[in-house]
Amino acid sequence: MIEKIVDPEKMRHFPPKGGKIELYWVYTSGRAGEEFFRKLREGKFIAAKCKKCGHRYFPPRIYCEFDFSETEFYEITGEGCVEAFTVATLDLNEEPMEEVIAMIKLDNTDGKIIHVIKDAKEVCIGMKVRPVLRRPEEMKGNISDIAYYKPV
Amino acid sequence: MEVEIVKGLKFHKKQDVAIVGAGMTTFKRRLLETGKELSYFAVKQALEEAGLDIKDIEMVVMGSAPDAFDGTALKGEYLLDGAGGSDRPYLRVFVGGGTGVFAPIAGYWHVASGLADVCLVVCEEKMSCCHPHPQSAFKYIWDPILDRPLKPNLIWIFALEMRRYMHVNNIRHEDIALVSVKNKANALDHPCAQVAEKITVEDVLNSEPMALPVRRLDVSPPSDGAAALIMVAPHIARQLTDEPVWVTGVGWALDTTHWTNRDLYFPRYVAEAAKMAYRMAHITDPRKQIDVAEPYDPFDYKELHHMEGLGLAKKGEAPILTREGVTARDGDLPVCPSGGLLGVGNPIAATMGVKACEIYWQLAYRAGKRQVAKEVTTGVCQAWGDLMQVGTVMVMSNKR
Repeated sequence: MIEKIVDPEKMRHFPPKGGKIELYWVYTSGRAGEEFFRKLREGKFIAAKCKKCGHRYFPPRIYCEFDFSETEFYEITGEGCVEAFTVATLDLNEEPMEEVIAMIKLDNTDGKIIHVIKDAKEVCIGMKVRPVLRRPEEMKGNISDIAYYKPV
Repeated sequence: MEVEIVKGLKFHKKQDVAIVGAGMTTFKRRLLETGKELSYFAVKQALEEAGLDIKDIEMVVMGSAPDAFDGTALKGEYLLDGAGGSDRPYLRVFVGGGTGVFAPIAGYWHVASGLADVCLVVCEEKMSCCHPHPQSAFKYIWDPILDRPLKPNLIWIFALEMRRYMHVNNIRHEDIALVSVKNKANALDHPCAQVAEKITVEDVLNSEPMALPVRRLDVSPPSDGAAALIMVAPHIARQLTDEPVWVTGVGWALDTTHWTNRDLYFPRYVAEAAKMAYRMAHITDPRKQIDVAEPYDPFDYKELHHMEGLGLAKKGEAPILTREGVTARDGDLPVCPSGGLLGVGNPIAATMGVKACEIYWQLAYRAGKRQVAKEVTTGVCQAWGDLMQVGTVMVMSNKR
């Protein structure tokens, strides 16, 4: 049988000297990420605007990628429009599933977010969607703090 | 078909290469900033020092050691936007710990070849992501059949090497500990330093044993950090500064991967790399011609080991030079005036900040409180890595 590993934490050495690879990682979200997820806990969304060229970054960053000047944070609604979508029908273990994954362009920014869309009878490009957040006590400080997007 | 190969190195460079700016972040065990943000801070500082804008940068070289530290596969690409790599030729180079000097070597060939007139070199490492300890990532560098079942770790190997070095050259631990004392004291003047302190030889000898003879204070700490360097062609350098620092020689070499088949007391990889760099830089007597040196010092004995590899001391002579104060910041041959990895910290590739960047700052007389007492013209920096087998060397001079 061919072993299929989809979770990196389950990776292991081959027998006979088998054993688990015990490495794991703890990441930091950085200065911009820290600010973003703290605000998210209060139910607010922020983006970042370059002080020089005015490019509006989402997810927020502390620097502008193109002219290397600083940015400033500003508040946005978190709502946006679907720019592209797909319907995933098989999960990593080839079990059937159905989930709509969309690239969403956020209002008042030049950035996009990839997230799941739920509660939609039909999804189309240009559809207006809004975020549904997890309860603050369930939040972990990563993108899953936004539970899903749903049509406005 | 038989081909005739003319032996010897040929340096047909298109143009000379000058360094006009450098920057580095603070080195710490755990930093809030992501690797991208760290790279950004280092690049920003280097651009400001050089008086350039990110739009002036033509090509970018990124140096970063194993993906396993940051825990991001394709780390070079992950770091790209913070390193200023968007929309321009971007290349990641990687030779383990040797990357700190190998990345500027790659930057050198970008400019020397004439492909770029302005090349930005960035090095980043964020070791704190890796748990339970960054050391665990090294587990997978060993031969899976011959070494790994014995559960070796790096400290082991260095203990073997240090013991062999001490035995062959008849050196006492007290003499080696002086390096740790010197570097940690030098680092007190470095604004980015992680473990700068005033210690004594007794402190080193009484610190926690790790794998004897290696003790806690013989070793540099894991760190997070980033560094950046800007290399330009002569006609650009002339517009930016009256006193650029020129790269006069580069060299790199690898010894066999069978580390059990080498004699550990002498770093042949460094000697070969230095030979290449010195030939290019027309250096025949390194001890006399080199004014300041930054050999790689992740362990205190390693500074001595590498000084001998670089020809700055005869075999077994480096501890004597250290004891006599020759390698102190006000000595005749200052070694690791930055505080080195032992004092400032060891974020693998980002150690470029205390190696290549430091030699640049020393030769440009921009090292501030760390500036060595003697007049300096030529300096050498060196790093070491891969499976303890690569030596990377760069010679710089403030005279063209």
